[in-house]
Amino acid sequence: MERHFELELQKLNRRVIKMGNLVAFQVHNAFDALLRGDVELAEQIIENDRKVDKLDTKIDKLCQRIFALTQPVATDLRLIMSSLKMNNDLERMGDHAVTIAQKSEGVSEYRDIIDELHIDELVKMTDMIVNDVITILNTRNTAFVKDIFDLAQAIEEKAQGISAKIIEEMMHKTEVIVVATNLIVIITAIERLAGYSTNIAESIVFIVDGRIMKHKKKNFESPAGTSASVTETPAEPAPDQTGDPTSEATPSEG
Amino acid sequence: MKEAKIVTRDLTLHYGLKMALNSINLHIPEKEVTAFIGPSGCGKSTFLRCLNRMNDLIPSVHIKGEILIDGLDIYQKKIDVVNLRKKIGMVFQKSNPFAKSIFENVAYGPKINGISDKKKLTEIVESSLKNAAIWDEVKDRMHDSALGLSGGQQQRLCIARTLAVEPEIILMDEPASALDPISTGKIEELIFELKKKYTIVIVTHNMQQAARVSDHTAFFYLGELIEFGKTRKIFTAPDIKQTEEYITGRFG
Repeated sequence: MERHFELELQKLNRRVIKMGNLVAFQVHNAFDALLRGDVELAEQIIENDRKVDKLDTKIDKLCQRIFALTQPVATDLRLIMSSLKMNNDLERMGDHAVTIAQKSEGVSEYRDIIDELHIDELVKMTDMIVNDVITILNTRNTAFVKDIFDLAQAIEEKAQGISAKIIEEMMHKTEVIVVATNLIVIITAIERLAGYSTNIAESIVFIVDGRIMKHKKKNFESPAGTSASVTETPAEPAPDQTGDPTSEATPSEG
Repeated sequence: MKEAKIVTRDLTLHYGLKMALNSINLHIPEKEVTAFIGPSGCGKSTFLRCLNRMNDLIPSVHIKGEILIDGLDIYQKKIDVVNLRKKIGMVFQKSNPFAKSIFENVAYGPKINGISDKKKLTEIVESSLKNAAIWDEVKDRMHDSALGLSGGQQQRLCIARTLAVEPEIILMDEPASALDPISTGKIEELIFELKKKYTIVIVTHNMQQAARVSDHTAFFYLGELIEFGKTRKIFTAPDIKQTEEYITGRFG
């Protein structure tokens, strides 16, 4: 039996995926701006954050409407609750992309320090976790959630190592204090991107089978017989970083 | 979960040749609200009526299995059905007050149970009406006809009438389905209060009502008990796909 609010739920799902693609695009560009010192691209990211904020409001309003009019339960309830939460996480990720873009201008003259600290490796890992989580958002394949949690842990450790090196450098060379402070803000933002990615992975587990993984990530077990990396076998194509992230499969939007 | 007040073991019921309940095993906890949900004809009302032997009145009904209340099989031959129904009150979908005064409606049960002292009867009527949250609305017109009350008031009067004989269990068969939202809200609040003293079993077609008022929910389908569990679990992450499809309206 077709339920009349099924279309509303589909619309919500499409919008959250659209938000995910948009934010992943912003994050990817922020990393490009950082590593290439591309000031123009950084400005574009700051400008694009308006789109993220606009979509954030639209998703919030849609969730509010579905809650008020349909009294959802079970899988519908979990989808709407999680959509609100994921939307919030994605919006914050968008803000962190803006922070990275803003601060990248202040460090663009110091390529040697960025290379020396191997920030490119941290960026690569974080770009991967963001893409992986957006793929899971599309496919709902929780088999790869454990990989996301492990990768987030590795990112956190690497980020802390880099931060420690920056602080050590600051102690010895006062002339690098300004750039070092900017770099610490960037590293913290990158670390938070990984944190929000794990939040979204937890929300997807909650949608799929109702398990609350918050504070219990160590106990997480993927469904049997799965251990491959998400990027190796996505059920659907990962978001296209070069294309228009705001495009949707279904054009009608209310 | 609290201790079980009602336990059914392999309860099977036939209407003639047609099986209406198939081997139902259920533990209904004491002093909590248990809701039965399921589509029309799934057996939930039939099951409810088994709990106070109302189905005895239908000649074609055959029952196998056991229903234990406080550990005692209520289908034993020596069970006095009148006493059983005193212990297990019932409230129906359509309120059915007697064509008597408000006072007489509530005093009727205690009277036929042998209480004749006017003062004692007055006390029982007052406390029953208070416990049914209708006292303030009727205290100044106790001798008016009960038929002059609104639908919601009549239903609460019927609940007061049930309480007057001091039951331990109250069975409710869609008690608010004919009421407006305000009266429904009052009945639901009343159920919440009553569970402190009574074990309540409610049949409802209203999913939101089951979610709001019950501690446990049993989902019936085609005479089978599909899933039984805490309401908070059933309405957030049920274990069985059929339950999920029913409560989210994807069924059929």
